[in-house]
Amino acid sequence: MSQLVTVLAFALPVIFVLVPLAIFLVYSFFSVDQGTIVYAPTLGNYVRFFTDPIFLPVFWNTIVLCVSVAVICILLAYPAAYFLTTLKGRWRYALLMLLLVPLLMSYVIKIYAIRSILGLNGFLNKALVALGILDQPSTLFVFNMNAILLTLSLLLIPFAILPIFLSLERIPQTLLRASDDLGASSLQTFLRITLPLSLPGVASAASFVFVLAIGDFLTPQMVGGISGFTFGRILYSQFGTAYNWPFGAALSVALAIVVIAAILVGERFGRSRGTSV
Amino acid sequence: MSALPRPSTIFLAAITALVAVLLYSPLFVPIVSSFFSIAHGDVDWSSPTLSTYRALAGNHDILAALRTTLIVGLCTVVLSVVSGTLLALYYHGRRSGRSILQFIIFLPFLMPPIISGLALLIFFREIGLERSLLTVVIGHTVFVLAIVYRTVLMRLQSMSRTLVEASYDLGATGWQTFWRIILPNLSSAMVGGAILAFALSFDETMITILVTGTQSTLPVRLWAMMRLGFSPDINALVALILMFTVLLCVLAARFLIPRQMATERN
Repeated sequence: MSQLVTVLAFALPVIFVLVPLAIFLVYSFFSVDQGTIVYAPTLGNYVRFFTDPIFLPVFWNTIVLCVSVAVICILLAYPAAYFLTTLKGRWRYALLMLLLVPLLMSYVIKIYAIRSILGLNGFLNKALVALGILDQPSTLFVFNMNAILLTLSLLLIPFAILPIFLSLERIPQTLLRASDDLGASSLQTFLRITLPLSLPGVASAASFVFVLAIGDFLTPQMVGGISGFTFGRILYSQFGTAYNWPFGAALSVALAIVVIAAILVGERFGRSRGTSV
Repeated sequence: MSALPRPSTIFLAAITALVAVLLYSPLFVPIVSSFFSIAHGDVDWSSPTLSTYRALAGNHDILAALRTTLIVGLCTVVLSVVSGTLLALYYHGRRSGRSILQFIIFLPFLMPPIISGLALLIFFREIGLERSLLTVVIGHTVFVLAIVYRTVLMRLQSMSRTLVEASYDLGATGWQTFWRIILPNLSSAMVGGAILAFALSFDETMITILVTGTQSTLPVRLWAMMRLGFSPDINALVALILMFTVLLCVLAARFLIPRQMATERN
């Protein structure tokens, strides 16, 4: 009986997680000939990724895009998280909940709604025209990289708020009082005590947001139009229209490497400073 | 936090308010427009109506997708809660191999869904499993397992050993201890995990798009429809779904938070 349980406990994760990922990795070394997969090992997919003038630039642009999303999210989330920690008791957690609840709301619907807000006839353009800031609706946010940047940022802000809030909350009050007693201004206390001690939270927030942004292909597909082409979209197209699964698998391996690197960097900075407090 | 100068508090409050508006605007736009009719691509603000809700009741395509989503969600909940609880019970207190297997369980949650989805897609093809609702359920279960596992494991770890020891001292067998002591103590964590699993499954889109067959879940159906633009009745559906999700959030919070807060206070 207990042996059966042991076997099951190991088998389930291995069969449904590890084996598919392993097959996936192996697939990246196969190739496609006239619509059928050739099961012979080759480095061709990786050579194509590095030599074809299309893929590396898109890959790089996508990384830059997702780093920008992380930066925007942190710039908005940090003040909000800081404000939460200045609140007392029940209000603090009520407001935190309020800022986190949108996470559980339908992702697809949010993308759609944001698209309609950003659109040429959307709320944003109408508001800007009505306020006299623009003479006519702008195409700045319509089906391009900017639209992807804004949409992803809006969707992912809550993921940045939580880790930053947790790290700010963990800062011992005694340190802040000591700084105050020693005559530091509140700006000095913030810059010399609060900010450095909250950086681990910022690091994990950045890594969360970056990983979620780079793995998304729905948003770019929905709001990117023709010019907003990201790595996720290329990857997705390899499994749909292009029907080149091995090449798609190789592109995914490249994506996975970036994701793992981002998680490790986030962990590294999130921990080393955190434990020294 | 020590008291801040007034201008900085106002500045921080303003940014927080801005963030709240940004986060909630994509939720309010469809809800508000669900009560007005749309003609020629423009919303008619003059007369509120429930016509979109009536139209929704007649949209069989969407209702079928909703039913599929619920079926997938329930299957996912049962599978992930049973296996997540078993895994948590198994790994709890056991050191050997735990960290590596725990890592494997968390992989689908950490990896971008496009990678998990594609890996499963190729896997199903290699073992000759046709894309269907079964493959969707497997995909969702693999994806949410980590959450259920973690929720149950955390409750197990916070459970006092003395309860189990007392049960054995009083002469209970292993099974009796499990049914009378361990399981009742885990039940609220299991219910909370189940709600989270259901909420995640209900909204899961990226993996589903890749592993689904002819029947698609609601988010996938919506995604397909959005490329052409929505009919107004979708706004009604959106409003209903958002209300439903709020309900799920409140429920999950009730099952998962109160007990922790209570133990902290004692």
